Amino acid sequence: MSTESTQAIEEAASAWLIRRDSGGWRPPDEARLQEWLKASSFHRVAFWRLEQAWEEAERLKALGAGVEGHQPPPRGQWNLTPFFDSPDQKVRLEDDTAVDVQTDTSSEAPDEKDRVASIGRDVAAAGLVPIRKARLKTHRPRRILVFASAASVLLAVAAGLYVWFNPSGDRYATPVGGLASVPLRDGSNITLNTATEVHVALTGKERDVELAHGEAFFEVAKDAKRPFVVNAGKKRVIAVGTQFSVLRDGDDIRVIVSEGTVRIEDRVARSGAGPQPPALPLTAASSPDAVLLSAGSVAHAGDAGVLVQKETPSETQEQLSWRTGVLMFRDQTLGEAAAEFNRYNERQIVIQDPTIASLKIEGNFRATNVDAFVRLLESGFPVRATESDSQILLTSN
Amino acid sequence: MRNECNVLVMGDIGEPLEVWFKREILSHEEMLMRFLARVWRNRDELTDIRQEAYARVYEASQKARPQAPKAFLFATARHLMADRVRRERIVSIRAGGDSDFLNVLVDEVTPERRASAGEELARLAHAFDRLTDKCREVVWLRRVKDLSQREVAEHLGLSEKTVEKHLRTGARLLAHYTRTNALIARGARRATDDLDEINENEQTDDEKDDDETGT
Repeated sequence: MSTESTQAIEEAASAWLIRRDSGGWRPPDEARLQEWLKASSFHRVAFWRLEQAWEEAERLKALGAGVEGHQPPPRGQWNLTPFFDSPDQKVRLEDDTAVDVQTDTSSEAPDEKDRVASIGRDVAAAGLVPIRKARLKTHRPRRILVFASAASVLLAVAAGLYVWFNPSGDRYATPVGGLASVPLRDGSNITLNTATEVHVALTGKERDVELAHGEAFFEVAKDAKRPFVVNAGKKRVIAVGTQFSVLRDGDDIRVIVSEGTVRIEDRVARSGAGPQPPALPLTAASSPDAVLLSAGSVAHAGDAGVLVQKETPSETQEQLSWRTGVLMFRDQTLGEAAAEFNRYNERQIVIQDPTIASLKIEGNFRATNVDAFVRLLESGFPVRATESDSQILLTSN
Repeated sequence: MRNECNVLVMGDIGEPLEVWFKREILSHEEMLMRFLARVWRNRDELTDIRQEAYARVYEASQKARPQAPKAFLFATARHLMADRVRRERIVSIRAGGDSDFLNVLVDEVTPERRASAGEELARLAHAFDRLTDKCREVVWLRRVKDLSQREVAEHLGLSEKTVEKHLRTGARLLAHYTRTNALIARGARRATDDLDEINENEQTDDEKDDDETGT
């Protein structure tokens, strides 16, 4: 423990930081600063922390670009839209995140930059490794991002997320066992579960997401003028500002609403005869097949219709626990649990014996730690596991 | 598709510790504070625990940089809290489990999520707006308009010393506000009280500055 108070150290650190930039900083001053930094780890980390924030503050320039004179803009009146065009959009890509670019397109598309930046940050944050190094440098000031608008660009990362940028919409995909969070430009956020692919197209009129396969959780930023539409199989799910997940298995979908209201309805078949009609506002009377779902609803929808169950908030949260990489089982059969694990792992659990499959289990598990699950089964149940590279066969003991 | 999870290699070899530390450790502050606020009842100690965790992680990283920096940071914070409980024989853990913080997995605090560049800028603007008028003006001139400290002083009719004081406060508050938005949104205001106080004092000082200008 340090004998100085945290506050006193922070004060001292701020004094060093500002004095260093004040002009008239000489080698003896630098020597004294270094001495102070060396005196305690608490000094050093406090200084770095403030220094980082102070460096970041320079990004205010991006907001001050159009501001005349010396006065800062009035509070709350920031023009945040053209930020991507800022001269000081310092992105993570610059320092260490090499990103794999598999096309050689080179036209200017400034708004791609923002997207790349945010993805780059995601990648950096998740500690992922680029497959091939092709350093994407963004120089300041005022760099031009050489990026595609004509062809699509694939950003591939090893563990979490595959990303393709394309003028008609972006594609994001996770591998088996993957989990990734994708912030969208409208402020919404999509969390992709294992083996999932979504296509995102944001336009002025609509926010359109195609769930090609898998499961995703949507946190929708409120925008009454632009409904957020998730297309999955023959259904579409429409929201304005809410939180819900959609799981797709062929044409069957399961929708869990954890906040707000969504509408689920049939998707007009795309017969090539033009686009489907725009999504109506949530409150508007719509086709008879539409079903409104409120928070706590779990809907199973398929050709046969829509089945809605009501759950308590804690039950829905359990069902959405995959967002933290955890599977929660309450009074489920081993067969159901095995099927769930098989979504997250290449190595599949195989149960041929129905008496084993109907065993009831309960507990929380890491979705990708199938080994721990199997070991626990062996110790607690009359079950024996025979493992190979591709599967784990469970038989009765 | 291939499953290549659990690979974790970051940063170039030979990258300065400072650069690595800022990126891999300091960038988790918001999440760390949210975690601390959740499990540690005494709000006054949150920043102490945070800074001590940073210091310990820094010391350990001088020898060898942890492979999973974020997990290491949270584990360090957990150990520090456990130490405090032992040392002071206090029970300051929130209801719902005596040693809740020992069990919380990092990932369970919230799924990995990074703000987009736009969101970060919005957050910065919001943090900047929370500064007092004078402090805001000084930081703007210095940081955005690139005026020297002396030019700022001349422009605003303040002493250089006063400008310097505003800049110091600005740096501290921006560090704080840009990293604790979510905490505040969740109503855990107390964690920020001490710094908000600085901001309020700053307000009083502003009035003095105005006097200074007047004379």
